[in-house]
Amino acid sequence: MSTEQTQEPATAPTQSAPAAAEPPAPPRSLAEALRARDDASLAALLRARPDLLTPVPGDLTQLATRAGTRASVVRALERLDRFALQTAEALAVAPDPATYETLLSLLTGDCAETSPHTTAVVRASEALPRPEADATAIEHALPGALATLREQALVWGPDDRLRLVRTARELLTPSPQHPSPTGLGPTVAEATAGMSPGRIQEIVAAAGLPTTHDAVSAVAALTELFTDRTRMSALLDGAPTESVVVLSRLVWGPPYGQVTAEPAAHLRWLLDRGLLLPTAPGTVVLPREAALHLRGGRAHRQPEPVPPALESAAEHRPQVVDATAAGQAYTALATVEELLKDWDEGGPAVLRAGGLSVRDLKRTAVALDVPEPVAAFWVELAYAAGLLASDGEADERYAATPAYDEWLELPAAERWAQLASAWLAATRTSGLVGGRDADFDAGGLRGAEAGVERETVLSPSSVGASARSPSQHRRAPSAKDRTLSALGPGLDRSAAPEVRHRVLSLLATLPEGSAPTAESLLARLRWERPLRAGATQPFAPPSAQPSAQDDLRTRLARWTLTEAEFLGVTGRGALSSHGRALLGAVPAPAAPDARTAPDTHSASTPGPHSASAPDAHSAEAAVNAARAARLLAPLLPEPLDHVLLQADLTAVAPGPLQRPLADMLDVLADVESKGGATVYRFTPGSVRRALDAGRTASDLHAFLAAHSRTPVPQPLAYLIDDVARKHGHLRIGAASAYVRCDDDAVLNEILADKRSAALRLRRLAPTVLAAQADPAALLDGLRGMGFAPAAESPEGDVLIARAHAYRTPPRTAPEPVPDGPPVPDATLLGGAVRAIRAGDRASTAPRRTAPEHTGELPRTTPAETLATMQAAVLTGQAVWIGYVNAEGAASQRVIAPVRVEGGFVTAYDHTADEVRTYPLHRITGVAELAEDQI
Amino acid sequence: MNGPLIVQSDKTLLLEVDHDQADNCRRAIAPFAELERAPEHIHTYRVTPLGLWNARAAGHDAEQVVDALVQYSRYPVPHALLVDIAETMDRYGRLTLSKDPAHGLVLTTTDRPVLEEVLRSKRIKPLVGARIDPDTVAVHPSERGQIKQTLLKLGWPAEDLAGYVDGEAHPIELDESGWALRPYQKQAVESFWHGGSGVVVLPCGAGKTLVGAGSMAQAKATTLILVTNTVSARQWKHELVKRTSLTEDEIGEYSGTRKEIRPVTIATYQVLTTKRKGIYPHLELFDSRDWGLIVYDEVHLLPAPVFKFTADLQARRRLGLTATLVREDGRESDVFSLIGPKRFDAPWKEIEAQGYIAPADCIEVRVNLTDSERLTYATAETEEKYRYCATTDTKRKVTEALVRRHQGQQTLVIGQYIDQLDELGEHLDAPVIKGETTNAQREKLFDAFRQGEISVLVVSKVANFSIDLPEATVAIQVSGTFGSRQEEAQRLGRVLRPKADGHPAIFYSVVARDTIDQDFAAHRQRFLAEQGYAYRIVDADELLAGG
Repeated sequence: MSTEQTQEPATAPTQSAPAAAEPPAPPRSLAEALRARDDASLAALLRARPDLLTPVPGDLTQLATRAGTRASVVRALERLDRFALQTAEALAVAPDPATYETLLSLLTGDCAETSPHTTAVVRASEALPRPEADATAIEHALPGALATLREQALVWGPDDRLRLVRTARELLTPSPQHPSPTGLGPTVAEATAGMSPGRIQEIVAAAGLPTTHDAVSAVAALTELFTDRTRMSALLDGAPTESVVVLSRLVWGPPYGQVTAEPAAHLRWLLDRGLLLPTAPGTVVLPREAALHLRGGRAHRQPEPVPPALESAAEHRPQVVDATAAGQAYTALATVEELLKDWDEGGPAVLRAGGLSVRDLKRTAVALDVPEPVAAFWVELAYAAGLLASDGEADERYAATPAYDEWLELPAAERWAQLASAWLAATRTSGLVGGRDADFDAGGLRGAEAGVERETVLSPSSVGASARSPSQHRRAPSAKDRTLSALGPGLDRSAAPEVRHRVLSLLATLPEGSAPTAESLLARLRWERPLRAGATQPFAPPSAQPSAQDDLRTRLARWTLTEAEFLGVTGRGALSSHGRALLGAVPAPAAPDARTAPDTHSASTPGPHSASAPDAHSAEAAVNAARAARLLAPLLPEPLDHVLLQADLTAVAPGPLQRPLADMLDVLADVESKGGATVYRFTPGSVRRALDAGRTASDLHAFLAAHSRTPVPQPLAYLIDDVARKHGHLRIGAASAYVRCDDDAVLNEILADKRSAALRLRRLAPTVLAAQADPAALLDGLRGMGFAPAAESPEGDVLIARAHAYRTPPRTAPEPVPDGPPVPDATLLGGAVRAIRAGDRASTAPRRTAPEHTGELPRTTPAETLATMQAAVLTGQAVWIGYVNAEGAASQRVIAPVRVEGGFVTAYDHTADEVRTYPLHRITGVAELAEDQI
Repeated sequence: MNGPLIVQSDKTLLLEVDHDQADNCRRAIAPFAELERAPEHIHTYRVTPLGLWNARAAGHDAEQVVDALVQYSRYPVPHALLVDIAETMDRYGRLTLSKDPAHGLVLTTTDRPVLEEVLRSKRIKPLVGARIDPDTVAVHPSERGQIKQTLLKLGWPAEDLAGYVDGEAHPIELDESGWALRPYQKQAVESFWHGGSGVVVLPCGAGKTLVGAGSMAQAKATTLILVTNTVSARQWKHELVKRTSLTEDEIGEYSGTRKEIRPVTIATYQVLTTKRKGIYPHLELFDSRDWGLIVYDEVHLLPAPVFKFTADLQARRRLGLTATLVREDGRESDVFSLIGPKRFDAPWKEIEAQGYIAPADCIEVRVNLTDSERLTYATAETEEKYRYCATTDTKRKVTEALVRRHQGQQTLVIGQYIDQLDELGEHLDAPVIKGETTNAQREKLFDAFRQGEISVLVVSKVANFSIDLPEATVAIQVSGTFGSRQEEAQRLGRVLRPKADGHPAIFYSVVARDTIDQDFAAHRQRFLAEQGYAYRIVDADELLAGG
């Protein structure tokens, strides 16, 4: 590895105090490189890697250190697009530091002629891509990719001294522990590290080089030979054809092969010349330099400098798209309402492990007349929008929340906007329902890492075996191989909101009304965020990746496409105008995503990284949602106030109905078919239901007459009358107690008595009174009135109460679980940068005085302190103080005193970025800052 | 965005009939959607795979279907539904049945995996022969119908290009002197002939017999006509002699009493399905001549053995005739796959509007049972309940009152229970036609009724079909076969023949209130209500008081 100093000692403010007045010298460390960046670029770094911001680093050195930690680097690498990652990978196999030209040639290949003989064999067996065509594109795209890497503090240094941060280099450099996506092996020097000097000398000799006096120079000579195109070609020209065939198998990786103890002649030829170097008993590797020679200097078989374009599958008129989407949006609202109406009187029970049982999901699917996965989507959507939740009772059930009732009161478009924005931000993914819990790791950060570790075991493959990817095995069997249930645990995928947002943003880049093919969209997403674990399958072109093994992001993207269609965010596969509004500020249609080549496309459109977390600003999301609702509202059908009644006892609502009307019809008739219109059928049962709900026959007649655009057919009127005639013939009620007496007069007397009012008596028959008071109270009451009642044994009280719509206690919608800290807003970023700056200033500021107390608090006498402070007030200069707070904790601060009075200094504290007051007696000392630090 | 059509998520189409584009829309969707209900304001069509495939067979493609929906739809059509329609239609024609000069009947495919898939099915295996090449497999000629039916069930309908045998030629001409085929009859004949085989649905009294005759005149070949009973066979013969160039001698009757096989043979379903010693001796009638056309009258009554046999007749042209393609056994789809798809369908109300069938006033008379009757009804055994409430004395009295009210008009009293009918006949002093009445006696009575010598006739369900009673203007139904929808339609059909004086027919259904009689009546009326016949409900008490 290099001598790079990513991690400076944090306590070296004075040691490394640069001569800042000098013209900009190349930075010697990442921290220095960061220090040289302006605030905007630091803010960009923090925006791209928000994990660096929690907690806010004390100074730039700390920031650099944190930016170099493994977890943070892995996270950053995973968020690179394919070409930026390829660039980083190329840098990892380049010398450290590398020049821009070296990097470029690793990506484009050097056009130097390799030996025709070997090239022919290699090309014949490997079908090289056309490097010439790519070269221009790469040259075009490389500055952009490099800028990205620099911005994210993965690469630093000027173009002639490009350095990959050490952790990234460790992660990306090919080594037996980490096979690189480039398919390259270790360098000659690395591969020969454990080799005996004698053996090295033999190899050197066999390769036709003069022997040297020590192993180091021998390795150097060999490396030099391998990197010298002309001599290497000459060497390879002498190789037997079988040997070249072996090389051609290894050239694009994996570079490892197995040999027997007695290798065949052609293998021996290679081993003798160091073109294959042993790594372990029975295993050999093609050294990096040799592979690069055979590849024509290219680190990647297929550099992908340009994001794959979205292919348009169909063009629709934007009006058609909007109308279709609006129709679907309306269906979405109807479905959610239907779902919750279905669950209105107490929904299904909550499983002990949480979630909805498979049977309940099936039942719901039947009730909604949709397939189960779709039912799971609606259920999860309602949950994510906070419309349903578990009631938290002992016998836990799902039910609508009070928020649902509020939601119902909203205009349709706003109801939709609420659903859609909940969907957009939710981390819960209904697509996983029914799957296995083991999926959880796949594609996730942990999965990627686990995959890398596991491959160590699998990577050596036999020379004869064709290239194969070991990553297929990376899915570790999980102990909890549980089926995931809707509304249950384990459905959160932190990548979901970002993928949804990105998919929709990509749709938004297309012209209005244009629907892309799913495959091209997925290819684009894979390019923007290649799976690092997936990057271990570099040998298969992306298009050939088996769809069955789709990674999580791809599956998320697929789900996003279908779900967006369900919700009416898209129509016929194209983004609708209200969907566009929901998304907020996105690149204008047809503007190419300018992420990778900012030099050619000046637009600073939000790339995948800024989109990586959906806008955490709920305010902005709300504004977008409101805009979407405004756009959608005119497209939604106006609710109707009438139906058509027909003699076959059906009613047809030729469109959505006003809510009171729909509610009434839902009670009065059975729904026979749904869609744009609703067909209701009146049956004796349904009419009875309406009567049970407290309507009278005349109510119903009046209702139908009022809302029917056609005369009420006579059979329907008869139906209502017939049912009504029989309805209520038998009366059932509840009483707590009764009074029975054969003598009506006594009962008359009781009723006439004012004192009986409290007992709430009612005469049911001449000889029977029913009471609402309980038997004991009734007995007492009657005794109090001077009667001598006797209690009868109660015979089965019938209690009938209409169930009330069941609601949970107030619940909040589930919080999205974002991946990592939220993207900081401009204010926070500004503050953070200032704080880091100030801290850095404090720790690195060269002092005029007390240099001997390096790293300690300045110490001055109180008199000196006071004098210096007063001087600083006059000059307006910042000073550096040592300060001990009330708890006794000492700190250093850079302050600009504003006034000194009454034993207090009021000063602007650069460190805290605010004006504070310090008691003079707590200031241990003060020192002036060097001029140039201010 | 203001079309007359609303596409529902369950693939029904609602057509607002009063809309000014309704007619255009109806024409656009008719090829692929089945008219399911046609009440007064909104007609319901249903899009089924079968309908879509029939549309494909008739030369329509998915684009036309989608266009029709999108063009006339009031609301945006769900994308998923359009995709589904395109996919369903795409399944048609991957497999083709055709005649191969060398191998006979063969099944070929344009999509090999589909062939592989269907050949793997257990139900297909016994129907096919040797594999001729990767895309072709031989089919046993006798299984032509069976394999079509099975493929349909597997969801890969085969396009049948094997054609029809012409059969033995026989000159038949329509004798259009003094009358002519009505436009819709012509249209029905053309649709049928163009499609090759299929079902024509026309209301009772709309002249289905003439559609049969017209088709025979098109085929000009020996014809086998299958009818429900002997009376109806005689009527067919009578009509054919009157309307075509055929003479009495050319038409044979193959029934329980006579076994004539002539160039045109009329056979009853009953004789064909007579089983002796485990075999159907008369099924060989199908093979007795080289028939060029087979007509199935009242195809909704087609008995199961005939189903099976029809499957073996796929090389012959088949015409099914019916008024109500509602089978209470739910085997409508078998009719479609064996006889052929629906080729022509005219809503009852449309024909009525054209004046070819009489307008009808359907009245349900609700009878209040007396208290003692109600008590008896309440305590009756479940299986006896319908019989009891359908035959109560109160009902009889109301019926008698109705007959009296329409005195002088030709009145039919139709019922289910013989003792009830006998009793009614006695009280009304009217002859009763029931199962045991001989054919000679029946025809005599019918004749007398036609002549006006008798004005009231009490009939059991034997007279449900194919009796032609031109001047019956009032029908009173006192009981029926439970909730049979097609029976109700057939009975209404008895009075729908156009009247000389143009006055409307009256159809009474006497129903006991608050009993299962009323529930059955509601079910029975559904078909007619869906055809636009709105029943008026009248209380028996009012009727008696008023009348």
